[in-house]
Amino acid sequence: MTQSFLEIKGLTKNFGGLRAVNNIGFSMERNQVLGLIGPNGAGKTTLLRLITGILKPDAGNVRFMGKEIVGRKTWDIVNMGIACTFQNMRPFRRLPIIANVMVSCLSPRAMKRGEWVKRLEAKAMDALEFAGISDMAREKASTLSQGDLKRLEVARAVATEPELLLLDEPFGGLSPAETDLMAISIRRLHKGGRFGRLHSEGPAMIIVEHKLQWLMKIVDRIIVLNFGTIIADGTPDEIIKNPRVIEAYLGQGDA
Amino acid sequence: MDLFLFYLRKLFTIIKKEVFVLPSRIVVVLFFILLLLLPVFTKDLYLLRIFTLTSIFAILAASWDLLSGFTGQMNFGHALFFGVGAYSAALLNKYAGIPPWGTIPLGALGAVLSGLIIGIPCLRLRGTYLALTTLAFPIILMGIVFALPDLTGGELGISGIARLAGSRVTDYYITVVVMLGLCTIMWKITDSNTGIIFHAIREDELAVRASGINTTRYKLLAFCLSGFFAGISGGLYAHFMRIAGPSTLEVSMSFQVVIWAIFGGIVTIYGPVGAVFILFPLLEFLRFWQELRMLMFAVVVLLILLYMPDGLFRWLRDKIEKECPRCKIRNVAMRHTCRVCTAQLD
Repeated sequence: MTQSFLEIKGLTKNFGGLRAVNNIGFSMERNQVLGLIGPNGAGKTTLLRLITGILKPDAGNVRFMGKEIVGRKTWDIVNMGIACTFQNMRPFRRLPIIANVMVSCLSPRAMKRGEWVKRLEAKAMDALEFAGISDMAREKASTLSQGDLKRLEVARAVATEPELLLLDEPFGGLSPAETDLMAISIRRLHKGGRFGRLHSEGPAMIIVEHKLQWLMKIVDRIIVLNFGTIIADGTPDEIIKNPRVIEAYLGQGDA
Repeated sequence: MDLFLFYLRKLFTIIKKEVFVLPSRIVVVLFFILLLLLPVFTKDLYLLRIFTLTSIFAILAASWDLLSGFTGQMNFGHALFFGVGAYSAALLNKYAGIPPWGTIPLGALGAVLSGLIIGIPCLRLRGTYLALTTLAFPIILMGIVFALPDLTGGELGISGIARLAGSRVTDYYITVVVMLGLCTIMWKITDSNTGIIFHAIREDELAVRASGINTTRYKLLAFCLSGFFAGISGGLYAHFMRIAGPSTLEVSMSFQVVIWAIFGGIVTIYGPVGAVFILFPLLEFLRFWQELRMLMFAVVVLLILLYMPDGLFRWLRDKIEKECPRCKIRNVAMRHTCRVCTAQLD
């Protein structure tokens, strides 16, 4: 029997009386780009945080490449090949941008994979180059704009050379032109290959996003969440036509 | 002979190109030279004693900066490491008869152990909670010390332990060389890859974890390193004063370290060291004004903190040097163009 790449079963998380994620289960393949959409408070970010081990689920399990990852520490999960970005960007504000990325390059996974790259800075620069902010490498992270902080988040995640990339609103706060660029970068990243001295495995991705217009272009499967449960799962075309999705986003029609 | 000349010329080139370009570096070199030459100029035992103690406390302040400044693990009980270092050195010397060169490193290892012991329960705490918890540990140890008067001498402490060396001048040289060496090592640590992770943990621990770094290991490492350096200073203190008493564990000692570090500027290493070299002698020389001594001390510290919130030495450094907006290399404030990339400064 072939193992699926990522398999989630019965995942549940309560915050006090609120059930943020309710018995979610799905599986995805190595070559997929998965979009995760839903109204605010649907549990999208919570789901990502459960996968990366930042939050501990109350029930359920997550298997990544045949290994159970619930209960492992976040850094273990990252070193297994799952990288994530944060919705509200969390840079190391008083450090130069390149140092932000060097922290990721210092993780055991990145150190093991880039043995032939002698200089850490070179690798960090290539991650910044990929994200398109290499010209500001020496600036403090606190001087960056919202859009560039998003890029920094992506650069940090890419620097660990992940197999599965969890992007939490990569287009949030970006202008339409910047969003186009970011979408192109993400698609290019998914194809895999080399970016300078950085090797991309062509990671599978889970993307949480509200800008559906751009999301539809880069994903090949969408899961819709509402009140912590999956209400639809299918290709972008199917999702747009699904009446339950329209209801969740726009409310029920009276007429 | 040629080889010697070659290295001599190389040394001169390094000094010319790396040291003489920035006033702060010249000051550091002058500081090293002056400290090493002080006994040549004066044989005043009182002065040498003050500077020996200053050097010992400089190690302590710098080690606090390594833990609380760089890694952001607010430690208000730094006297614990100092006291553990002092007491272990004293006990080992008195009961096992080990000479100072053996007891001081062993005492430092004892402090590393205490760093692990307090580090593990404190891993989940941060900020104010961590500060308050760490505050308790030296007080607990002091209770243990008082509870075992046969072993620790109770309130009188352990006296009559071996001297650091034969003469005051030798004592001075040992502490100063150890201080300069350890501070250089600490500065190198903060400048290394480990230092980057320490910085990052201070900024945002969760994001460091999400970058695949085992933050527990690095936080414990910071506790151990800091404990090691503080333990050495405790051992030196015990052997220099020839007594290890409960005063090494007092709350005032912990806060003294914090005051020194903040006065000089945290996250610098050189800041706390410089601050000790100003504040400790100042407190001694104010002795002629016995009643107002602490008041004057408080006024000086408060003024500095009010007008230079980043610390005295940060402030001074920003006055005499400025950063190139393009390549981020520091230049003398008088220059109009960057010395490396020739960009316009301001």
